[in-house]
Amino acid sequence: MKTFIFFFKSALFNFARNKMRTLLTSLGILIGVLSVILLIALGLGFKKYIDQQFESLAPNLLRILPGTILEGGGFRGSPGLSTTRFDEEDFIDLKKVQEAEYVVPAFTKSVVATVGKEAELADIYSSSAEIFDVLNLSATDGKLFTKEDVDKRSKVVVLGPKIAEKLFKRKDLSLDRFVKIEKQRFKVIGVLKSFGGGFGGPDLDSYIYMPYKTGYLLNKDKKFIAFVVKVKEGIELSVAKKELNDALLKNYEEDEFSIVEQTELVNAISSIFNVLNSVLVAIAGISLVVGGIGIMNIMYVTVTERIKEIGIRRAIGARRSDILNQFLVESVVLSLFGGILGLLLAWIIVFFVQRFFPAYINATTVIIAIGVSTAIGVVFGVFPARKAAELSPIEAIRYE
Amino acid sequence: MIKLKSVYKDYKIDNELTFQALKNINLTIKQGEFSSIMGPSGSGKSTLMHLIGLLDKPTKGKILIEDKDISTLSDDKLSSLRNEFVGFVFQQFNLINRYTVLENVILPTMYAKRQLSFDPTKRAEELLKSVGILEKKDSYPNKISGGQQQRVAIARALMMKPKLILADEPTGNVDTKTGIEIMKILKELNIKEKITIVLVTHEKDIASQSKRIINIKDGIII
Repeated sequence: MKTFIFFFKSALFNFARNKMRTLLTSLGILIGVLSVILLIALGLGFKKYIDQQFESLAPNLLRILPGTILEGGGFRGSPGLSTTRFDEEDFIDLKKVQEAEYVVPAFTKSVVATVGKEAELADIYSSSAEIFDVLNLSATDGKLFTKEDVDKRSKVVVLGPKIAEKLFKRKDLSLDRFVKIEKQRFKVIGVLKSFGGGFGGPDLDSYIYMPYKTGYLLNKDKKFIAFVVKVKEGIELSVAKKELNDALLKNYEEDEFSIVEQTELVNAISSIFNVLNSVLVAIAGISLVVGGIGIMNIMYVTVTERIKEIGIRRAIGARRSDILNQFLVESVVLSLFGGILGLLLAWIIVFFVQRFFPAYINATTVIIAIGVSTAIGVVFGVFPARKAAELSPIEAIRYE
Repeated sequence: MIKLKSVYKDYKIDNELTFQALKNINLTIKQGEFSSIMGPSGSGKSTLMHLIGLLDKPTKGKILIEDKDISTLSDDKLSSLRNEFVGFVFQQFNLINRYTVLENVILPTMYAKRQLSFDPTKRAEELLKSVGILEKKDSYPNKISGGQQQRVAIARALMMKPKLILADEPTGNVDTKTGIEIMKILKELNIKEKITIVLVTHEKDIASQSKRIINIKDGIII
């Protein structure tokens, strides 16, 4: 132990004498550890976000989407590329399924919404009154549209808080005023409570919600892009899924639509993200290798500079292993120094990122950072250290 | 204590040429002796000292230290012997400039594999005091004079209580007055502490201060 402290002190002394060199060498490891840790922190944050989304989702919902989306837990195609569009007939067929408590159609369209002379790009989300239940949305101002509004094709809209603020500057001023979309005027009857999120998925706070029959004004061929089905209490999702599947098979081929559970969708998104994140972490890992090579390089220089010293130490009784350990300690300290700085910097950045995104660094990440930088110090330090240890004492001490 | 039996040492210059630094050396150094190895430069005297000091191995022949054949010893064993049995004093002092005087003297204890019978710092301070430079213990070697550095080197050589001190031209890099003092210290160590001393020098004045002179020329003892 005392020998270790002696080596450690000796290493620090050596670094203090070569400040710039030490700093630059550590910088390689710093950048490597920083990028790896940041990516892991973002990955963890995304996982946390997904979990939060999970909790807010009703478990007994099924989504019916065009195309084949999920296969073996991952995405296959993109729903946007599918040509299938559902129509009112499908809506009626689905509603007949006993196991469904209700079926909600969805149609979205990007439009220009105008209030006075202000024009904003916005997305229409037309659906039935149950959509607010499905999405877990409620109004802070005014009210939500009802089944009657749907049946009477009332020209009313409910605004997400973000779009309300964009169009009317203050969302409470928007009630009972009119929004012009594609030459039609719609009355604002309510503004929704903020849902938050919006990362990686639709931003529910930015939609203009409209009864789907009113929506036909903007959706001339009366097609839907999706349905959401709430399954009755006490019925297995798989049973409901089969019934819905049978209902749609009358009009469609098996691969023209998909019925997915919310959780499947979330799992699929999260599995894609995990793969992506792992790839990114691996790429960032390459910079650690580059940093390690930097350490190896500088350790070779250090060994050459200190051949005489190695000879002196051998003359007074240092074994090969003592010399090896001395240089290993030095390269580990060098690498660890960079690693810890990288970790601290990552921690500071994550602290600021947390204002926008729930990224975080956990204990495992800290252990990984320290472990990896130690390992790099050992792996890339061992060759120079062995070179030092294998010098013959007599040649080393004669070296000038 | 030390026996060399028909020892040869060759150096390879290139693939075909070898230089014979030592030829058929037979030498016995007894416990408590103060001997000088004397010869002109290139005579092989430093090579001989390196062999005795276990820094190098002979090409041919046997070296026995306390009746043990050193060619049978592992590198670790040889390191331990250098640590405990031999103390080196070099012409170039060979102190480590990154360490203070005191740390340089303590350094051999860092490589000791056996439990020490003394407190390293205390012993180092005593030794520095006995060579008269205790007040420089916190200085760095490159900040003190050559004579002072050589005293530090002697203190370091004594740290592990060696039986043998090998001094390679210890007065070669210091002025005459300091040289006399260094020799005085070595003589005292031989008489009072009964430490065996082997001195390598090319100066007759220095060699004549020892009890036995071994003359070497062109790798042969004459």
